[in-house]
Amino acid sequence: MVVVPEFLIRRVYKKGSLKKLDNGASFELKNVLGPGFISGFNYVKINDTVFEANEVKFITAGQELLGQDVSEANPVAFRLGQEGTLVMTGKPCVIDGTNKITVEVMNPEAGKVQLNVEDSMA
Amino acid sequence: MEVTFDRHSLLIDGKRIFIKSGAFHYFRTPGYEMALDRFAKMKAGGYNTVDIYFNWNYHSQKQGEYDFTGVKDVRKVLQAAKKIGLFVIARPGPFINGEVNAGGLPFWLLKMEDVIPRNRIGTEYHYSEKYMQYIEEWYDQIIPIIRDFDNVILFQIENEYATDTMEEDYMRQLYKMARDKGITCPIFHNDAYFAGLWADVVDIYALDLYPYINPNQNWKQDNFCFDTLDNVEEIFRGAKENSPPFIAEMQAGWFDKWDGSGYKHIRDALEDKHINIMTKTALSQGVTLFNHYMAVGGTSWDDLACDEVYTSYEFTAPIDEFGIPQSNFFKAKEINYFLDSFDFTNTDPVPFEFSQENIYTKLRHDNINNCDWLFIRNMNPNKVEIELPFGKDISLNPYDMKICPINLKLKGCDIEFSDVEIFARLFDENEEVIFMIADKNAQIHIKNHGILSGDRNDYDNITFRQDNKKTQFVFLTKKLADRSWLLKDKLIFNADYVLPNGAIALEKNTEIAYFDLKHKFAKKYYVTDKIKNYDKPQIVDDFKIDFCSPEIDLHYDYSNWRKIGAKTDSLSCGLYDEFVWYKAQIPDNLEEITLSARHLFAVYINGKEVLNRNSYKIEKLQEVPETISIPLDQHILSQDINELTILVQNLGFDKGFSGDTNCPRGLVTFETKPDIPVEFSVCEKLSIERGDNSESDNPYLTKITLNFDVELNSDIFFAKYLSLENFWYRRATIFLNGVKIGRYIKRTHVQEKFYLINEFLKPHNTLEIVIWEKDRNIRSAWGFKSDMKNVIIQICTQKMYQLFK
Repeated sequence: MVVVPEFLIRRVYKKGSLKKLDNGASFELKNVLGPGFISGFNYVKINDTVFEANEVKFITAGQELLGQDVSEANPVAFRLGQEGTLVMTGKPCVIDGTNKITVEVMNPEAGKVQLNVEDSMA
Repeated sequence: MEVTFDRHSLLIDGKRIFIKSGAFHYFRTPGYEMALDRFAKMKAGGYNTVDIYFNWNYHSQKQGEYDFTGVKDVRKVLQAAKKIGLFVIARPGPFINGEVNAGGLPFWLLKMEDVIPRNRIGTEYHYSEKYMQYIEEWYDQIIPIIRDFDNVILFQIENEYATDTMEEDYMRQLYKMARDKGITCPIFHNDAYFAGLWADVVDIYALDLYPYINPNQNWKQDNFCFDTLDNVEEIFRGAKENSPPFIAEMQAGWFDKWDGSGYKHIRDALEDKHINIMTKTALSQGVTLFNHYMAVGGTSWDDLACDEVYTSYEFTAPIDEFGIPQSNFFKAKEINYFLDSFDFTNTDPVPFEFSQENIYTKLRHDNINNCDWLFIRNMNPNKVEIELPFGKDISLNPYDMKICPINLKLKGCDIEFSDVEIFARLFDENEEVIFMIADKNAQIHIKNHGILSGDRNDYDNITFRQDNKKTQFVFLTKKLADRSWLLKDKLIFNADYVLPNGAIALEKNTEIAYFDLKHKFAKKYYVTDKIKNYDKPQIVDDFKIDFCSPEIDLHYDYSNWRKIGAKTDSLSCGLYDEFVWYKAQIPDNLEEITLSARHLFAVYINGKEVLNRNSYKIEKLQEVPETISIPLDQHILSQDINELTILVQNLGFDKGFSGDTNCPRGLVTFETKPDIPVEFSVCEKLSIERGDNSESDNPYLTKITLNFDVELNSDIFFAKYLSLENFWYRRATIFLNGVKIGRYIKRTHVQEKFYLINEFLKPHNTLEIVIWEKDRNIRSAWGFKSDMKNVIIQICTQKMYQLFK
């Protein structure tokens, strides 16, 4: 069970930022909730395609991090107002029209935090 | 008393008032005398308001029954606040969290059909009419009491509430209910998500801020934890333009958990630097109402604690669980006195262009004192020299923050700029004395007079005169400032603490200095002749041992226990006590039993223990379920009809912030292989609580009884505790004069000192410690008695002060 209500978590997603890549997708996040850490990327799901942590890259504050490298022992700071791009590779996933996106990350204080949004290609 | 507000501050009877509040839990600091003592210390520390949660569960143990007598008499608590001269922020929930059992919701409510606690399941909104009816019942009880006190200045509905879809009818109904029942002061809610939640429903928008919630975090290193606080004015203005910035819970400490790192670790991590940064940054953001959560630590005696926390709710608060002022109290006092010196209720931000790594700055114009205040903070791990754009320099220690006046017009001179901080100010029409905190790296720039060094000794002073008016600066070292107390128009120096009635508290013989504008300095020597050697612990080795779990014995008569159905958990059975006994008969052909129980439990068959388990586990704020199977054989099932006994210890219900208050406790599931129906009979409480004096020889639960005396004297303040630092048993429950005052679990090592709550102390005291031991080496009563010979139990005094009235 999440601590943060869904409507607040959804604000982290930058609407209209979804991009189709050759073999994957990317979209942008902005932390509007409060300063904290991401201590794990569980998965990203776009429509029916699931990207595990090793297929996800998080680009933020001039760093490019592989999802699998982010852990409780190696968390990544995500400050208030900080932006980041999630890049998923290896599988086509974006469709024309509305796409269903789920991002599940871990936070040391809140536990599992799940973001569920819908977006169309930019 | 008329309470209004505008965008800057609260106005009480038309006068702007800066609200310096601190949270206090009357249920964790029970009784009128203890409330009076803690309120007096708060007032002496410059707080003008006390924030009080009213705990529904504490007053309503049974449906339809409310208890406001004895230590539960909240009128007395409110009378104590009134007597001391504190305003009150009333927070009657209905849900309060506060790490109390079920978040303050009555146990009986949790099991009611059609009741959905807080109108939500998870974060999904589910309106429950029945729940609203019961809230009405609670408000009918508590609001008439609150309404009788005109020093109540603010009223909160719900607590850190949000749902996925933010339907407003619940919150609007609570607001209306409060108004209909006669609440006339402004109503607010505390938004935990700093997202402007419920701003349109309430009169004043408020939020809670806890930048340090993970004791494994290094807040100094991860200094971006203050990001929200550093931008909080924008959040307030965005949420509600015409209400004053109000931090309803501003971190002044943090709670520890069963699997936590201990309060010493948290206190050492926060030091007095954290409260300094929190409070001064809030001021820099235009906050004119703050509430230090907590100002006073407490004790989760009886069954007050939720499952997450142990007995001590010390919270690393400015006034600790024992009632002793700590270093963060002295820092809060410093800031509170400063706020009494210069009215800060009407300021506006001023653009200030400045940038340096890890240096936070904010400039505000003071519309009352017609000056500017520069707020400056160093989050670097080293001392930093800062060149300010207007030509002045500051040297700032690591993790320090200062409030510096710019062009502050005083009676006898003008301060152009100062990074020597102001401690307190006494003044009349023509004269003022400003007490400054000596700082060898700081200076006061006096217009037309040059620079005064802050490198001073205690009581060094310098005077300026202009137009027949006089300003005198008197310097105090930080050490003396901590021991200096502002009492209306007087300052008292070198006291451990001073109460608002003028009583001076001293631990040892001390020379006290006084200052007021009329008499100037005076001194008096006090001899603490009533304090005897208290630092020597009283070692108790003379105690009585009883074996007190007759319920476990084969053939124990439980015919008068209540029979229950297939659902065995505590809510389904209406069993809310910490300890619940289950007994049943089982045949000799069972191969296995499988059970899940919360939280600690033991299984006995025919009087012999077959399992003893601590299944308490919380990960990522969620309970980790555990189911255990016990293989049975003829050895264990030695009778044709065998007697099964299960004892379950419930450490509390979930506090309801992220989990559900009504997660099951007690025997949650029970199955047999082969599957047969088992009919349980149940009974609450340990035998000593039930007054059941029948004993047995089994050593599984053992009560040791000891007696000790204390000298109760109104001229002495003392705090005593039971030390179990040399106690090697795994679990114990502690009773002082029949009142449950502590839960001890060795595994966690988080608490080995138990406060002997003053309210429950008498001249002659009985302490009972029920030990629930698992050690398989102890197989008999004889073995236990022999083992106990090596146990050391100590009654210690934490502090003792003589009060000179």
